[in-house]
Amino acid sequence: MVLESYHAVNFAEWIGPAAKVWLIALLALFVGFAVLRWLLAVIRQGPAAGTLSTMEFLLAAAADLVLLSPRRTLALAGLTIKESIRRRIVIVFAVFLILVAFAGWFLDPGSNQPARLYLSFVLTTTSYLVLLLAVFLSALSLPADIRNHTIHTVVTKPVRPSEIVLGRVLGFAAVGTVLLGLMAAISYVFVLRGLDHQHDFSAAAREQLAVLWREARRGDSTSGITVSTDRVQNHRHTVYFDPSQETVDEQGARRGAIRTDMENGHEHEIRYVVPVDGEPQFSCGPPENHLLARVPIYGKLRFKDRAGKDAEKGVNVGDEWTYRSYIQGGSLAAAIWTFENLREEQFPDGLPVEMTLGVFRTHKGDIEKGVPGSLSVRNPATGDEAHVRTFASREFQTDLQVIPLEFQTGDGRTINLFRDMVADGKLEIWLRCVAPHQYFGAGQADLYLRARDASFAMNFVKGFAGIWLQMVLITGFGVLFSTFLSGPIAILATGGALLGGLFSDFLYQLSQHKVYGGGPIEAMIRLVTQQNVVTELPPTAQTTVAQMLDKAAEQWMWLIWHMLPDFRVLSFSDHVAYGFDISWGLLALAICQTLAYVGPAFVLAYVFLKSRELAQ
Amino acid sequence: MNPRRLLLRKMIYVGLMIPLVLLLAVLGMPAAPGAKGAPGSPGGVLARLREQHELSPTTLGDIDPTSETLKLATLGLRGVASTILWEKANNYKAKKDWTNLAATLEQLSKFQPNFVSVWRFQSWNLSYNVSVEFDDYRDRYHWVIRGLHYLDKGIRYNRNEAILVWDSAYFVQHKIGRSDERVQFRRLFKQDDDFHGSRPMARRDSWLVAKERFEDCLEVVDRGGRMRGSPLLYRSNPAMAQMGYAEAIEKEGTFGEVARREWKQAGDEWHAFGSIDLPRTGTETTMRLNDYEPRLEQRKALADQLDALEPGLRERLRQEKLAALTEEQRKALDTPPEKRSTRQMDLAAQAEASIKVDHNEQARRIRGENRRKALDLAKKIDAIDDELHSLRSSRGIVNFEYWRLRAAFEQEADTVDAREAIYRGQQALAETDLVAAKRSYEAGLLKWRQVLDRYPQLLADENTRSITVDDLGEAIDEYRRVLKLLDEPFPEQFVLQDVLDYHQANQ
Repeated sequence: MVLESYHAVNFAEWIGPAAKVWLIALLALFVGFAVLRWLLAVIRQGPAAGTLSTMEFLLAAAADLVLLSPRRTLALAGLTIKESIRRRIVIVFAVFLILVAFAGWFLDPGSNQPARLYLSFVLTTTSYLVLLLAVFLSALSLPADIRNHTIHTVVTKPVRPSEIVLGRVLGFAAVGTVLLGLMAAISYVFVLRGLDHQHDFSAAAREQLAVLWREARRGDSTSGITVSTDRVQNHRHTVYFDPSQETVDEQGARRGAIRTDMENGHEHEIRYVVPVDGEPQFSCGPPENHLLARVPIYGKLRFKDRAGKDAEKGVNVGDEWTYRSYIQGGSLAAAIWTFENLREEQFPDGLPVEMTLGVFRTHKGDIEKGVPGSLSVRNPATGDEAHVRTFASREFQTDLQVIPLEFQTGDGRTINLFRDMVADGKLEIWLRCVAPHQYFGAGQADLYLRARDASFAMNFVKGFAGIWLQMVLITGFGVLFSTFLSGPIAILATGGALLGGLFSDFLYQLSQHKVYGGGPIEAMIRLVTQQNVVTELPPTAQTTVAQMLDKAAEQWMWLIWHMLPDFRVLSFSDHVAYGFDISWGLLALAICQTLAYVGPAFVLAYVFLKSRELAQ
Repeated sequence: MNPRRLLLRKMIYVGLMIPLVLLLAVLGMPAAPGAKGAPGSPGGVLARLREQHELSPTTLGDIDPTSETLKLATLGLRGVASTILWEKANNYKAKKDWTNLAATLEQLSKFQPNFVSVWRFQSWNLSYNVSVEFDDYRDRYHWVIRGLHYLDKGIRYNRNEAILVWDSAYFVQHKIGRSDERVQFRRLFKQDDDFHGSRPMARRDSWLVAKERFEDCLEVVDRGGRMRGSPLLYRSNPAMAQMGYAEAIEKEGTFGEVARREWKQAGDEWHAFGSIDLPRTGTETTMRLNDYEPRLEQRKALADQLDALEPGLRERLRQEKLAALTEEQRKALDTPPEKRSTRQMDLAAQAEASIKVDHNEQARRIRGENRRKALDLAKKIDAIDDELHSLRSSRGIVNFEYWRLRAAFEQEADTVDAREAIYRGQQALAETDLVAAKRSYEAGLLKWRQVLDRYPQLLADENTRSITVDDLGEAIDEYRRVLKLLDEPFPEQFVLQDVLDYHQANQ
């Protein structure tokens, strides 16, 4: 389980420089606009009148933006809500309900990680539906009002253009919030119900258990047995019944409570009563530990090569995916994570290290066993290193290794973890592969300290908060474009901003000429002539022209990439689906990013609306 | 436009629409079953064409409501949706996100349930490519089985596609029965209640399950299903799976009557395979692999008849051809083969080819009343030669003679005893009981001597010999190792000296 694009964000460190860049950009935008406005005014009205009119415009704009009336703004927001309801937003809700109702047809609860599948589905579906709704509602509203002249019923009242814009944004946001709230509640119930199941035991397993309990009653020593549950949702669990752990009540009934093994990402608690006469009663609890919100503490990863020298990366074993790089077994190669700000009180029960490693074998070895690896801790200040334990690898599974607060090393030393190994809150964890000629693969987020578990419900809400922020952002863009574009064009522009934001990484790759098949014109030629993306186009004049046009397009794309928000920063679907807590810092960063775009979009929308005749 | 013209235009439209709708109704009328056994209506032209070309989903296999709904929901953009899903699947595979890969493949199969390549490609992907990404053999097994389940689903939707059934048989045979992890996989496969359901424990062997599935594939082919590849190969599969089973149980320590019975079964099935009518490439006729020997005899009888029509003619013709050779060719032919130079070898080969007397030539030289009969006989020999050529080639492809011989000698009590003794030796060696190991190896190798004496063909032709030598060479090497560990010399008069000589020559 890998959360490749993890965000180890320290909000306090991020906000200062980010705010500085934002303010500079904003100032540049303001100055640029003011100069342009002044130049136009000077050309039209002459220097003195032009300067005066620009001053007047700026003062009026400042007044409009500062002296907003909450009452009027809310009244306009109310109108927007009514309009949205009139536009049958309920259809979007109905589509969502239909999708959820039939999701069981194509979501497989028997998958290896059903929770991840279900959560990804609800978050993705909600996200797409709400964002589409935001695009259409926000981009069509003002142009429709202008076309129908209904805008005049508003602008003829004593309202400021800024209040019209803000009212629309708030109104659409309110509608989206209610809709999103309902969807979140339904999604939560859907996920819980979809994953809920219980297990029982087959007649054969019950017979085996009956023999065990008869022997236990007779006092024959017995070490317990392992039986399998029945198959539900394409999996079964293994359960170990140990008579020595059972209690016997006054009537002689044996009682026990045991946990199943982890299967398909969850486990169950099974309580049972075995009366002296009669059938045993089993009560299987709901699935547990599949809906998690782990709070990880990430370290910074570095490598040592086989000779023990510092290396930027490990070995590439030929994987297409370069997220992990590999360390050679039986050598001095190591993957080292350095953690900071660790405090003893955070870890009263030891240091819980969770890791998901890749394994690469250059020879079969003993395939009945995992490849052995070792974990050590090292004091970054003194360089003192202590071997904690050797373990067998479990590829593609999250393996938990708890480093005790006090432990003995192989050479007999007693190590107090925080006293001997942690220096100024810093600690290094060294991972090595022990088996010669075998390899371990490690990526940045593959090893972390599972500090604690946060509430899953709260994490789920935070996941939806991410969608809400995206919706608000798109609403801001939609209202902005609708102030100076006609309805269909505004939809295209808003949709374009959404797509650009969602595929921001692709846009960047495209602008840097890093995508196979060239730019848009070259790609079109390849499509029409049915050429694959890796062969060189023939060196003709047509190709040269196409590539020159693509060069120009790439510059534009680079500019657009810089201007558009990166929607991935606002999307927390992976965090929720993969069971990682969305930190408040990350949420705060997302909120700041949203405000950083929505604020200027609001001001620009106001300026465009004010410039139009109808609002004057 | 005035209202009258508008009305007129509407009436024209309606007038045009009515015959079109009627035509469409006639063409597209669905087929209807008849009541109580009476013949039903075959439906309109479109329905009949659909039936004829097996394009109707009901003739292809089960219908999945989800799949149909999804196909409709894409509003004709099924191709685009499928392309996106293929792309996503590739991406998930590259990033080792197996949960999402499996989910995407499920969706993909719903969009393209009757596209055989999807099932074939993606089931292979799961069973072969994804499974090996896991380090733990249990996880690997899990993904092999997932691929098989995926294929099983494809079979349900495409019941006439025999190739899917063949694939599933091949996966079980090859991936579970032959892969590097076969020991572990075969163990897990036997214990897999979920896969086998009510199949009795004795039948839960990967080779037997593969055989069942190969037979299912042939059933689909025989009822008119589509199959790719050569019938020669896919018709041999069930018997080959039985051979594999007999071989596998011996490797796992089952000998005695059980092993002999399974080898006998394999021999019987191989013989039955040899009796199947197989198409002869390039002709409309069929052939049976078992017919090779009878045809050879037939040919000999015909050739004798031809010789009898004019006794001595063949030899006379040969002498004439000999006389026509150049001095250099004759000299090359007279030189013993081991003493020939490279040029002489070429010349001798040319000479040998040119002095060969062809039966057509022989027939043409016969004059008088026997000439017609001679030409008829030559024609018959030609036909048999053609068939023999096809038979030789086909038998070579499936290694027919080797497997026939193998099934025959493996069911001998001596062979089973020999294999058992070698197996005991290997077990003893693994447990470092060297004295017991030596005893078992010697007993086993002695038994092998008896088998080889009874079946000299095992060392006769090159192909059979190389397989036999590979098989026994391993046991000889192990025996040598045991002696070395015991600090004893390898016997000078070794019981399988001939095999050892070949083995050392190979090395």
